[in-house]
Amino acid sequence: MALEFDRSILGQVFDETDFPPVEKADLLQFADALGETNPLYTDEAVAANGPYSGLVAAPTYVTRLRPKKMTPEHMPRFGKVGFDGGRDVEIFAPVRPGDRLKMVSTIHDIYEKTGRSGSMYFIVLRNEITNQDGQKIAIVDHRIMQR
Amino acid sequence: MKTLYFEEVEEGDELPPIDLLLTKDFVRTYAKTAGMDFPRFTDDEGARQEGLPGMIAPGVLSMGLLARLIGEWNQAAQITRIGTTFRSPVLPDCHIHLLGFVTQKDAEQHTAECDIWMENDEGERWVIGTATVVLPTRNS
Repeated sequence: MALEFDRSILGQVFDETDFPPVEKADLLQFADALGETNPLYTDEAVAANGPYSGLVAAPTYVTRLRPKKMTPEHMPRFGKVGFDGGRDVEIFAPVRPGDRLKMVSTIHDIYEKTGRSGSMYFIVLRNEITNQDGQKIAIVDHRIMQR
Repeated sequence: MKTLYFEEVEEGDELPPIDLLLTKDFVRTYAKTAGMDFPRFTDDEGARQEGLPGMIAPGVLSMGLLARLIGEWNQAAQITRIGTTFRSPVLPDCHIHLLGFVTQKDAEQHTAECDIWMENDEGERWVIGTATVVLPTRNS
């Protein structure tokens, strides 16, 4: 039986957040916190001669951007407890120092899976990130699992 | 810069593993840097009050480390997609192993698909994932 919920909530924007300009120090600190060794993310001089002609953010930097509202006001509930089920990140362009990023958040999908321990419900929150030129930077899908 | 060209990469190639002791301080530093300094990621007692056995590592930290695995294999590999499933809470103060291999190459797009995962000393895969990378070519 198909999971029952009001499908009109899919795709509805529940948050739009404009972030302050990305600071170089923030990118370096993020790379350092991961123990990154790739000079494209850690060494301005080497990165200047690299494929991006300058320092860029480590690939998962976009996952640190937090919307004002993390979840919709009327977040559907299918289970008693929720877990962070995973992330899918699609990267279209690198984040650079000085970028002014904007993130638009929607509920992208809701589905059910049945495993050995019973039914699990997945709510996929989608964050679409663009820069000051309207260039698409990344799509981050956050899978929240409820059971 | 360590560069592997598309022509040099073969399906089945293993990514050089990263083995590290995931300390609580490392997790706390990441959580603070990423604006995630919630008790569950910084403090054992706070995490227990949330019903967890102790503080855990944020899932996106595991994802970031798996992206680092790809970057250390090939600094010129441009990640265009990375997907991870958090199968089990990652409890710090343990040894973790980041592993992966190339599953498929696409000669038209100059891309490679990789399976990537994080496991503990017992070989339990706490985080699994896949990634797509664009590789430089000798001809470009």
